[in-house]
Amino acid sequence: MRRGASRFARAFWFGLLPLGLLLVGCSNDPYPPPGDEKVMYGVLGEDPHGLDPVQAGDTLSHGIISQMYESLFEYHYLERPYALKPCLAESMPEVSADGLVYTIRIKRGVHFQDDACFVATGGKGRELTAGDFVYAIKRLADFANKPRGWWLLQGKVVGLDEFNEESVETAAAGGKMDYDQPVAGLSAPDRYTLQIRLKERYPQLKYALQMSYTAAVPREAVEYYGEDFVNRPVGTGPFRLKEWRKRWKLVLERNPTHRDDFYPDRGEPGDREAGLLDAAGSKLPLVDEVYYTIVSEAQPAWLLFKQGYRDASGISKDNFNQAITPAKELSDEFEAKGIRLTKFPEMVVYYVAFNMKNPVVGTNKKLRQAMSLAYDTEWRIEHFANGRAVSAQGPIPPGMFGYDPELKNPYKQFDPEKARQKLAEAGYPGGIGPDGERLEITYDIGSAVPAARQAALVFAGDMEAIGIKVDIQTNTWAEFLRKNKDGRLQVFGVGWILDYPDPENFLQLLYGPNKAPGPNGSNYDNPEFNRLFERMKAMDDTPERLVIIRKMVDIVVEDAPWIPGTHSVSYTLHHQWVKNVKPHAITGGNLKYRDVDMQLCKRLRRQWNRPNYGAVGVFLAVTACAALLLGALRRGSAVRSAQP
Amino acid sequence: MTAYIVRRVLYTIPLVLGVCFFTFVLFDMVFSPRELAIQELGKHADEQQIADLMRSRGWDKGLFYNAEAGGLKSLTDTRFVNHMSKLLLFRFGRTAKTHEPIGRKIREGMVPSLTLTVPIFVLGLIIGICLSLMVAYFQATYLDLGAVVVCVAFMSISILVYILAGQWLLAQHLRLFPIYGYAGGIHAGRFLILPIAIAVIKGLGGDVRFYRTVLLEEVGRDYVRTARAKGLGERLILFKHVLKNAMIPVLTRTVLAIPFLFMGSLLLENFFGIPGLGNMTIEAVANGDTRVMAAMVYLGALLFAFGNLMTDISYTLVDPRVRLR
Repeated sequence: MRRGASRFARAFWFGLLPLGLLLVGCSNDPYPPPGDEKVMYGVLGEDPHGLDPVQAGDTLSHGIISQMYESLFEYHYLERPYALKPCLAESMPEVSADGLVYTIRIKRGVHFQDDACFVATGGKGRELTAGDFVYAIKRLADFANKPRGWWLLQGKVVGLDEFNEESVETAAAGGKMDYDQPVAGLSAPDRYTLQIRLKERYPQLKYALQMSYTAAVPREAVEYYGEDFVNRPVGTGPFRLKEWRKRWKLVLERNPTHRDDFYPDRGEPGDREAGLLDAAGSKLPLVDEVYYTIVSEAQPAWLLFKQGYRDASGISKDNFNQAITPAKELSDEFEAKGIRLTKFPEMVVYYVAFNMKNPVVGTNKKLRQAMSLAYDTEWRIEHFANGRAVSAQGPIPPGMFGYDPELKNPYKQFDPEKARQKLAEAGYPGGIGPDGERLEITYDIGSAVPAARQAALVFAGDMEAIGIKVDIQTNTWAEFLRKNKDGRLQVFGVGWILDYPDPENFLQLLYGPNKAPGPNGSNYDNPEFNRLFERMKAMDDTPERLVIIRKMVDIVVEDAPWIPGTHSVSYTLHHQWVKNVKPHAITGGNLKYRDVDMQLCKRLRRQWNRPNYGAVGVFLAVTACAALLLGALRRGSAVRSAQP
Repeated sequence: MTAYIVRRVLYTIPLVLGVCFFTFVLFDMVFSPRELAIQELGKHADEQQIADLMRSRGWDKGLFYNAEAGGLKSLTDTRFVNHMSKLLLFRFGRTAKTHEPIGRKIREGMVPSLTLTVPIFVLGLIIGICLSLMVAYFQATYLDLGAVVVCVAFMSISILVYILAGQWLLAQHLRLFPIYGYAGGIHAGRFLILPIAIAVIKGLGGDVRFYRTVLLEEVGRDYVRTARAKGLGERLILFKHVLKNAMIPVLTRTVLAIPFLFMGSLLLENFFGIPGLGNMTIEAVANGDTRVMAAMVYLGALLFAFGNLMTDISYTLVDPRVRLR
């Protein structure tokens, strides 16, 4: 038996040795060994919804598409307030005196990236022409492409609506649209001139021409790749797609034939001190590759950031206390790693809307004001957003033209006592109506996720405190939309994220003719507000416009068709090797401005990720001891069983 | 035996059809066509666009009865028949999001899935049987008792705990393995060690308990007593005689599992970022891509039927007394 035991032990040691050796060669680096290129590392929560510009409806897809495709205009990277500058256009558009004809000159000598789809030139990228924009805009109007940005041009361009209607018929019949068919309002008088004729004044057109929806798309690529076009982007942008393996990685690389595009030499005051102008005049893009890993779980994504294997990260609710102190500063652990925190107000408004067509809440202004007074915003900001939000006073978020930091909505100051008083004035003293019954309100949410439910419960609690009973209805998003359309909602919580930095984008949520199923879900319809809106929407950002906007906001504040909730503030973390980080409200092709210090990145990663051999040694030692003990035990039992 | 196989293959037809029928009805309830249309069109979609999209996709037809078509067509031109006729011929179509052929995606995803599941299966089987032989050998000692405690603990703790603990200890704290990610070819090894180790360890609890029970049942039989009386060594008895006779229940458990190796592992692939079929299925569920889900369910049903058949056939190989008629 002794011999057996020693053989057992020997086998054990022989097993342990290779195991130990195996562990010595280990590393937690999830990437292929890097070369000398500058690489940015990021994480995507899911694959983009295809890479077709006309479908760039969600932030994530748009964020990738806009690195590869370019539009006529782009936002200044550093200058504020947000302003457009020419991108593929030679200059800003020439607008006719009546505001209906836009003439846009296109840059000469810009080429699409080299791609097999350019059969005529043997794979060399063709030169960009004005015709490419005519084609791209027609694609946006073609129903068969499932365009997500059609609403931008719907009812605006001469002849384009007819094209769109025809495309619906064609798609239903299983056919394809003929793109050679002319559209009266879209033309290319010469190779480098694009002309757009509008049905009505639409100053927001320039924003539509900045979005990826209207990016230059080569017809060759669409026709060559067919259904696979969503996976084969061919643009003029600073990057091109190197590799996209679904649910694994998406890699962009520098487009070697990218046009002459340089880092800006002007910015806001303070940008120079922050080092944001150090790269002024450098040719863009500044890095060679962008490597995205698709990580759908929040925890590994967070750990990858802490290990230094991704350059930037947001902060989820679960990890908030790890990274941020109660004073809303970076924690010591993160500070020591040289991580930088950027706080940035997002152009978003979350609000509770009253259906103005509803006989109970729609006709009773004092009731709405009472409910608004009972709404505890500060509690929500602290508990739902970890303090990452500001209380909204009106529909326009901070940073937007027309936002008034001085505005104090008298019905948005949490005051239950005043709320009860207003409620009594509204005809519901203590929440009891004229019929002697308690007032009951239905609150609809369009999602079953816990956060939406929790928010609804808090709303119910706030209202309960002044004597109103709230019945919470959970819907799927589709049900919610249908109820909205049928006017069956009473009170509901929603939000709006900007499409372009013009207050019109937020104020249209209250414009009468936009009522359900349009974006004005509260069905607010005030003739005075509507009249002002029509004037304001066609104006440039002048002091006169500001006066009108202030007046409109005042009307909304008094009428209280909404309880304005919060504007969120985003917190972003960056490692110290990432350079030229400046938050921007509109996600877009901003990666070309970013730079990384690869030496620093590699050094810190090595330093932070040395395998913990000490702990491994202890672990192995404990295992070995346990094995020896087991051997001894076994001998003991063998001896015992040998006894008769 | 041929007749038996033919009969069994015929049995699978109603089984597979039934599975497809139920999943089709369930998917339709959870991901209604209207909802899919809204998801596809985005926040600015109006009622008309939704209706147009549904019509162009044929989603406005009846589930099982299409009143508009009239005649026999009202029964054949329905969503269910259209769906099944393509599925049965393995024409899975393209994914909703990126229009990739689903058949190609399945073939591509199978490779990472197999590199994960095959080692888990083989290692789990070998280690499981060795350990259970050991436990059976030390029957009714402290070692056996200890093994019971450990096994039950392994069985009753969710694999999520192992995944998170493994990621925390080995990847984050000891920094030995990447937390997340994948690489093709030879480099895949680094990414696979941790999930494989976790799955094998998690699987051991149940396996060892099961194999031990099977082995002990055999150990109590007459032929073992005879062998002992003959003076054969305990080790020889276990490995040569007992193991062979315990093969039937072991085979039931293992052969049935083989086809499912192709389907990948939902949780492990998702948590470690391995781009296999399990990951693809989760993504399809998240996106409401019913075509991918239907294809995976259909393949799953076929593999299940195939696995059952293989199990029955394998009985004849290990036990000459079993005849299939």
